[in-house]
This record gives sequence, C-alpha cells and structure tokens, in this order.
Amino acid sequence: MDTVLETTKTFVEVAEIWVPENDRLVLSGGVYGRHDAFAEASHFESFTKGEGLPGKAWAEARPVVLKQFDGSYFKRTEAAKAVGLTSAVAVPVFAGSTLKAVLVVLCADDATRTGAIEVWAELDGILKLEDGYYGAATHFEWVSQHTQFPRGQGLPGGVWASNTPILMRDLGSGYRFIRSESAGKAGLTTGLGVPVPVPGGATYVLTLLSAKGTPIARRFEIWDARLAKTGPRETAKLIDGICEREGPLWDPENAGNERVAHAWEGPVGRVLGTGLPVVETGAAAGGYAMMVGLPIHRGGELAHVVAWYC
Amino acid sequence: MEKLVVIGAGMASGRLLEHLINAAPDRFEVTLFNAEPRGNYNRIMLSPVLSGEKSYAEIVTHDDDWYQAHGVTCRFGERVAHIDRDRKVVVGARGEVPYDKLVIATGSDPFIVPCPGHDLDGVIAYRDLDDTNRMIDQAPGSRAVVIGGGLLGLEAAAGLRLRGMEVTVLHLAGHLMERQLDPAAGYLLRADLERRGITVMTQASTKCIRGDGSVEAVELEDGTLLPADLVVMAVGIRPAVALAKDAGLSVGRAIEVDAQMQTSDPHVFAVGECVEFAGQLFGLVAPLYDQAKVLAATLLGEDAAFAPKQLSTKLKVTGCDLFSAGDFTDAPGREDIVYRDPARGIYKRLVVEDDRLVGAVMYGDTADGNWFFGLIKDGTDVSDMRETLIFGPAYQGGAAADPMAAVAALPADAEICGCNGVCKGRIVEAIEGGATDLGAVRATTKASASCGTCTGLVEQVLAATLGDAFAVPAAQPVCGCTDLSHEDVRRLIKSQELKSQPAVWQELGWRTPNGCHVCRPALNFYLLADWPLEYRDDPQSRFVNERKHANIQKDGTFSVVPRMWGGVTTAAELRAIADAAEKYDVPTVKVTGGQRIDLLGVKGEDLPHIWADLNAAGLVSGHAYSKGLRTVKTCVGTDHCRFGTQDSTGLGIRLEKRLWGSWTPHKVKLAVSGCPRNCAEATCKDVGIVCVDSGFEIGVGGAAGMDVKEVERLAKVATEDEAVEWTVAFVQLYREHARYLDRPYKWLGKVGLDWVKDTLSDAAARTALVARFDLSQTVYQSDPWAELSTRDRARGFAPLADLTLEAAE
Repeated sequence: MDTVLETTKTFVEVAEIWVPENDRLVLSGGVYGRHDAFAEASHFESFTKGEGLPGKAWAEARPVVLKQFDGSYFKRTEAAKAVGLTSAVAVPVFAGSTLKAVLVVLCADDATRTGAIEVWAELDGILKLEDGYYGAATHFEWVSQHTQFPRGQGLPGGVWASNTPILMRDLGSGYRFIRSESAGKAGLTTGLGVPVPVPGGATYVLTLLSAKGTPIARRFEIWDARLAKTGPRETAKLIDGICEREGPLWDPENAGNERVAHAWEGPVGRVLGTGLPVVETGAAAGGYAMMVGLPIHRGGELAHVVAWYC
Repeated sequence: MEKLVVIGAGMASGRLLEHLINAAPDRFEVTLFNAEPRGNYNRIMLSPVLSGEKSYAEIVTHDDDWYQAHGVTCRFGERVAHIDRDRKVVVGARGEVPYDKLVIATGSDPFIVPCPGHDLDGVIAYRDLDDTNRMIDQAPGSRAVVIGGGLLGLEAAAGLRLRGMEVTVLHLAGHLMERQLDPAAGYLLRADLERRGITVMTQASTKCIRGDGSVEAVELEDGTLLPADLVVMAVGIRPAVALAKDAGLSVGRAIEVDAQMQTSDPHVFAVGECVEFAGQLFGLVAPLYDQAKVLAATLLGEDAAFAPKQLSTKLKVTGCDLFSAGDFTDAPGREDIVYRDPARGIYKRLVVEDDRLVGAVMYGDTADGNWFFGLIKDGTDVSDMRETLIFGPAYQGGAAADPMAAVAALPADAEICGCNGVCKGRIVEAIEGGATDLGAVRATTKASASCGTCTGLVEQVLAATLGDAFAVPAAQPVCGCTDLSHEDVRRLIKSQELKSQPAVWQELGWRTPNGCHVCRPALNFYLLADWPLEYRDDPQSRFVNERKHANIQKDGTFSVVPRMWGGVTTAAELRAIADAAEKYDVPTVKVTGGQRIDLLGVKGEDLPHIWADLNAAGLVSGHAYSKGLRTVKTCVGTDHCRFGTQDSTGLGIRLEKRLWGSWTPHKVKLAVSGCPRNCAEATCKDVGIVCVDSGFEIGVGGAAGMDVKEVERLAKVATEDEAVEWTVAFVQLYREHARYLDRPYKWLGKVGLDWVKDTLSDAAARTALVARFDLSQTVYQSDPWAELSTRDRARGFAPLADLTLEAAE
C-alpha cells in the first residue's frame, strides 16, 4: 500500500518508542518522516533514569511536556532545532509498577499549526492542567490553563471517572460549556482522552485535540483488550473510532461482532502481544505517514489500545 | 406500482423500507411522513451524541441522498392529521396521499409524570434529537434533575454530567434499573455513577416541580428540595396510538397486530413501539427489526410470522459494563450461582432452574454475556457444566480472589488495632521478632488486646507474614453466605464505609445474591447502627416480630404492650387499655415482669386499629418485641418510700424517654432501684442502677434468663445527669461493637469489662458516644404504632403475602 500524502501538515512530526534495557532507555522504534538527521542523532542515544526527556518521564512516573528545548534537560536540542522540531511530550507506559516503555512525540512550531496535547493531573479531587502543547492555539492554551475538570465532566473528567479512553467528536460543540468558544475558534474538532496509569495512584489524563487543518490524526481507534470484555486473552475489539477516509469505525448494528485484533497480527496485534507501544509508517501503518499504537494497562494487565494515524 | 404510505420515519419503518427496496425496488411508490423534520436516524445512539462521544452525522441511517436514490417521497416535519380508511387516504398538514397499503410506525411518546409543574419550561423528555440538543444547549454548571433511573435516564445523566452539569438522578425503586438488574448489580452501577459525580437518590418520589414559568426546583414527597435548571423525565414510554384510535383501528394498550403485523384493517399494518402483539409491547430495537422483516415479507406476499424472543440489555455509558438477560427473580426451585471479585468490582449471578439457565446478571465482567444469553435462548441443559458454568466458556480455573491479598497489600502504616493505635508495620516487626501467635502479638504490641474486634485482622497479618507457619484459627462465619465472622463484618462495614446491604454483599464477597435469613437481620442492624443517616432500615431484613411490631403467639395472634414510662401509668391510660381490650376481644390481659400490661391474643388485622386507639390515649409502642430497649423497671424511690435515697422513678422515666426506639444487638432491659434493697431487681438487668445516698451505682451485664448473672459495677457517679450520660454511652458502645444477638453480658464476656470501663472513663469518648446515640435517635426514635396505624400502611397487616425477600425466623 502506498503512503497517503495528505495535503495538510500534521501536528506531530516525529514519534519514537524508548524501552528499558538494563538500566537505560534505548530506542526500539521511531517514525521520523523527513527528519533524517534527527533520526540519525536518536539512534545513537540512550537515557538513564532521570536523564533527558524520556528519562524524566520514567523517573517522575508521569507524562512530561517540554515546550522549550534550549537550556532544558532535552539531550538532542541541536539536532531537533536543526530540523525545526521545537516541542515534545513524553508519555510513560506502566504496567503496574513496571515501566514498559516511554512514547515520545515531537512537534514543529509555526504560526498556523493548531492542535493540543495536554496532560491533566488530579489535585485535591479535581483535574488541573499540568502542562500542554498547543501550537498556534494560544488563546485556547490560556483558557485551558484556567479550566478545571471535576470527576465525570468534560473529556478529561470523563476519562478519569470511567478509567477508559474516550473519543469525542465535534469538540467545538462538545466543549461548548467550558472551552467551546475558544476550541471553536481554534478549529479543534476531535478529542482523544487517554488515562495514563502510573505507580503510586496519581491520576493523569492525556488528551489529544485535533484541528481539521493540522490534524493530530486522520484516524483514531479505541480497542478494548480487557479480559472482562473480550474473553480469551490477547485479542482486542475495535469499540470506537473515526476516520477521515472511512467515516465512523463503529456500527451499533454489529454490536458483539466488532473487528477483532489478534496478538502479533498487525501493529495493534503487536501492542497486544508485547504490551508495548508501536509506531509505524507506510504499509504497516495502513498507508498513513505515521501510526501510533499506545497500550493502556490497568491493574498490571493490558486493558485498552488507542491508535492514531496521521 | 402499489402506493405505500408509511407514517413515522423511525428505526422500525427504516428497516422495513430497506428490506422492501432490497427485495423489490420497483414494487412500491413510497411516501414517508415524519413529524420530526428529519429522516431515520439511530435513535438509540442519541446518548453518545448527548455526551459528545458521537456526532449526529454518525448516527444518521438514511440521509436525503438515500431517500432520493430510492425514490421515497419524504413528507418530513409534517404531522398526519388523520387516516381516512374508507377513501384509503392519509391526510397530512400539507395535503392528502392515497394508499393501497398503509404502515403505521408512529413509535411512542415519552411518559410525563403528571405532577404539578410538569409543564414548566425546562421540563423535557428524552426522546429525540430536539430533546438531545436542548440538553446540549444547557449552560455549563447548570443543575439537572433526571427523573427515572432506568436505561434512558442513566444515559441522560451520564451525558449531562460529561457536558459539565451537576446531575441528580431520582429513582422510585430501591435500586437503579430494577427491571434489568438485581440489587447487587444495582449497587455497583450506582457506585460507578457516583464516581462520575452524579448524585443518585433511590426511593425518591417526586411531589412537584417548582418554578415561576420555568423550572427552579424539584420537591420530593419527603420534603427534600432539589434546585434545578433542567428536569429530564425518563420514566417510560407510551405507544403513540392516537392516530390509529381515531381511525377506528383495534387498539388495546397499543395498536393490535397479528403475527404478520396486520392491524384490524387488512390494508393497514403497524410496526415498532406502537404495536401490541399477543398482549406484549416492545421497546427494544431487536424485536422491532424482526417485525420490520416480517412486515416486509407480508407486503411482498411472502409467508412470515413474528415471534418475540428473549432480550438482553446494554447501557450505553462509557466505562459501565453491565449485562442482563432472562429472568432473575427469586422463585422456588431456582438456584443461584454467584461470583464476586470485590477488588475488581465484578459481580456475576446466574439463575438456574431445572438444569437450565434462565437468567444472568453481570457487572464489571461481561465477556461471557453473549454466551450465557445463547444458553438462555436455547434452553441448553447445563447440568454437566454446573460447577464451572460461572467462569464461562473459556474456563481458566479462576477461583475467588484470595481474601489474604487485601491484608497483604496494606501498607505498613495502616492501622490494625484502633483501640491501641497499632499499625501493621509494628505487628510485622513483632512477628519478625519472634511473636508468632496471637497471644505473643498481643503481649508485645497490645494489638487486639482491648475490644478484640481486630483479632481476625491481626491473625491475617500473622498468616500473611508467616505463610504456612501460621494457621488462622477458623472463625465462626456469620452464615453460609460468607466466611467472615460477625466481628470482621462489623469492622469492614466501618473501615470500608459500606452503607447498604448490596455494598456489603459485593465488597465483602457474599456468595449469595442477596444474603439469607441469618445474615440479613445482622447486617441490617450493623448498618443502621453505624450509618444512621445514610442507611435506610430494611423491614424485610427483620424477624417477623419486628416486622409486625408485635410478638407473634403460638396461635398466630399477637400481643400488644403499650409503653409505660418507668412502669408508671395513669387512670386514663388504664381506662384506654381496658376499652381496647374489650373492643378487640382481647382474651388475656396480663401484667409483665417489666411493669407493663400485655394484651395477649390480638388478631393480626386488628393490630393497626388497636394501636390507633391506644395512640389516641397517648400510649405508644412498648417495643416488647424488639432487639432494642424494652423496659426500665423502677421502684417508687424517694417520692413514696421511706428507704429511698434518690428519685429512682424519675431517673427510670428519664432513661426510658432517652433510650426508647433505639435498636440494639439484642434486647436491652434496665432497672433503677432507689436503695440497695433493690426492689426493682436492678442487679440482674443489662443495665441496673442502684441509688445510694452518695449517688448512683451503675452496674452492667446482668442476666436473668437462660443464664443468671449479677451485674458488675461499671461506675459510681454522683449526679443523675452523669448516670444518664454513662448509661447512654454504654448502650451506644454496645450498639457499635457487639455482635448481633449477643446480650450485653455476652459481649462483655468477649471484650472484657476493663476495656469498656477504660473507654467510658474518657470523658471525650463518652461525650462522642452520647452524641452518636442522639444522632441515631433523630432517625429511629419514632413510634411505629403512629406510623403503621395509618390507613395506607394498615393494608400491610391484612392476611396474605409471600414476600420473597423476607427473612424468616
């Protein structure tokens, strides 16, 4: 299958997976697009606990947003700057207390790219914005910084209360009550909210808010891999999704007979088999320039897989 | 081409059109009326549209292009005024359309509770896209009250919450979705919704909706006032049959059809929620689709017959995983198989009858739902897989969760012994230092050395630390429903803040769906004693005497004992008692050992009436049947007696007025004697006070029944106020710690009088106990006679009734 060349730029330009090996994080896969030099620099890199962005996410057991490389702990600043990458988000993937991997996505800044990658953290029984990267959506950033979500409210509060990933459509109207006007102005349409389980019981929710012009993804999928829902181990059901090309990826008429992914078959199957995130491109990514599959573990077992394609 | 007119563009008629167009695209010239200004969309997916998890565009089944491509003439947004069957025309607002065949698919209307205020602005139903948009448009932070805790109401509540509203769900029944779930699953669902910040009120009856033009509040029958900006009625649907009725078609509860979906007119058919078939109505989509298929065949001249099937239910609230199918009510000959995993919030219950699965309820783990549903539908003989059935088709040898795991998982600083403030880490330290049995741990750390309720927990820490080297002594379990002892259950009700019986059953892993006649009365007491404000007393978990508020006699009649405060009565009261005895042909009137008058031989159906008569004379129930305060016996004291040292009668009356109505683990009898001659026999009572010149000697733990025992001194106090305070504090301590059906002397034998003395010697602890007792009395100090002798309640005393959940004695 040929890689689809969409005309619009995507919000995320690079995605990479770092996995623990002995006492270091080493690169197990990455999609770098046109940024060969940054890829080159990354292949020779590794991180101890607390070192660099992936090491920080590991050590602090929380998702970390980094919006400014200069003068920071980011280790590949020169290489990133050289190709125009300006910001990064690291998401640790824990199964119980075991670190399985750290997913790092990097974004390029310009005046038009709009979207949001947000990290929400619970403090005193309420979700507050820990940090976020918004590209050109500066007003929306300001609004988010001044918004809080109680349990069950909004995309972050909904993810927190249900402890499952949620894919919201039409954020402009969906966020009408809190961040609507601003979301609408920023052109943010679709939102994926994902629980980020970490050892110690702290609550983190990652949200990816996508705008039509510079989508974070052109296709979102949520797979349910819980034993309590799917029965035999190592399969997952596609329970929700939306795709620019195919439309809705769910069908209530087909409830109970959803698409099933089997362990080791395809990129989602590989997430099921390994419990690790995957990043793919080209044919392996269904013809998209980039596919990210992120596992969500609950109680030490794989519960969901979210995938986005751009 | 035949002219086919369809009224209603819902899911059933939409499916019908698909079948017709697929099978014979040129057979019919179709005109489709719809009162809504849009075509067919997947109405059951409105909830995720409300929550924002789906867009309306995604749930449109037939868009304009579809209708155009298939030559369907759409008359959307146009109400049908009437059907003229003689002329075979349908008359719409914009003109009439002739038909050869007519299909009525008008669906249903939401049922609006006709309470005052139901027509205020802001009171809406939840039925179509317009209702959904109305909810979406509601301002952030608004307060919504959803009336109805069924499928639709809960989906609305979850969606509104996700939209940023403060949501309260009112439900008339005792648990949510009572038609689909049993109380245990209902409890888990409620907990799940409460985790989302939704307030759930069960047994909540709406009295009226208040507001000046638009909604301002909802008032409940119990007087509770809930401020509201939006009220969503989701209490049910009624088939929309007005058009059919006006047209003279045969209509019962809905439009009557035969198995071919034909109405009483051979040219008119009906499909969907507006039909009644064999006395049955339909609200779920699966039978509607079956009807559409049958009707398509009928219209095409083919043979087909509609037959209703078993249905299962799905709640569309992200993260709430429940499944229910078949029949799971209790009935003779039915057997339950129950699996609970409290740590994972899983509850599964299968109901088996005659070796066949007849019902299944699942919460948290629904992977095997469809498999169980298949077994129910097919009537499969499950006798060969009975033992492993609950684990589903891919039985993996799963077993109940290890109860030790919870203790093992406790952190070192978790407090194990509340009395002596000993945490787990200290106990583990002691064990590692050589204290390898309970006695040694007690000696070293003082853990479980006081009231003893943490003994089981200490033993579990021993077992978790020592492994096989320590054998946990088998504690006597409450009953066959659980392995936990009474002490464990009491401790866990407090520490885990379990506030309902379903919460106890689920979180403590009960093996039965809803307890048994042994555990239910005990749980009912523990819960009402520990959570007087939150827990609601369950009459069905009481022994027959407490349920009837009278002692049943061996001939089936009852005894009635009015309260006589401190054993003191008046001529007027005695006259009222005498009148009542004559009026109701009471065969025996007897003075009791507790200084009361017992009317023996009252017929069950006379109880409310005799209570009402006695009430009218100012007499209230003497609770002579209850596990609660029975009597306070007194002597005449200083008022009349030459030897009296204090006002024993006055103190007795004061104590009785303070303590009456309170439920206790077993019956409690008090006495106050005015001097050491002890005419009131205070020294063999649960609490006996002997007055002396210098004050009051308070003795506790006496008995004069199967066991005879003299009281032991709890304290000597100088004033009457102190005597009352100590007594109330003692009774409350007993209420909070004793095992159900242990009289005080038995309880004291277990915890030791020293611990009780130590506890009550602390003035602050005493004050707190008294405060907790008084708080409980705000709920429970009420006269059951006054409450139950009203006409509505009195019906319950008429002879009948086999209540399946009743606990039998």
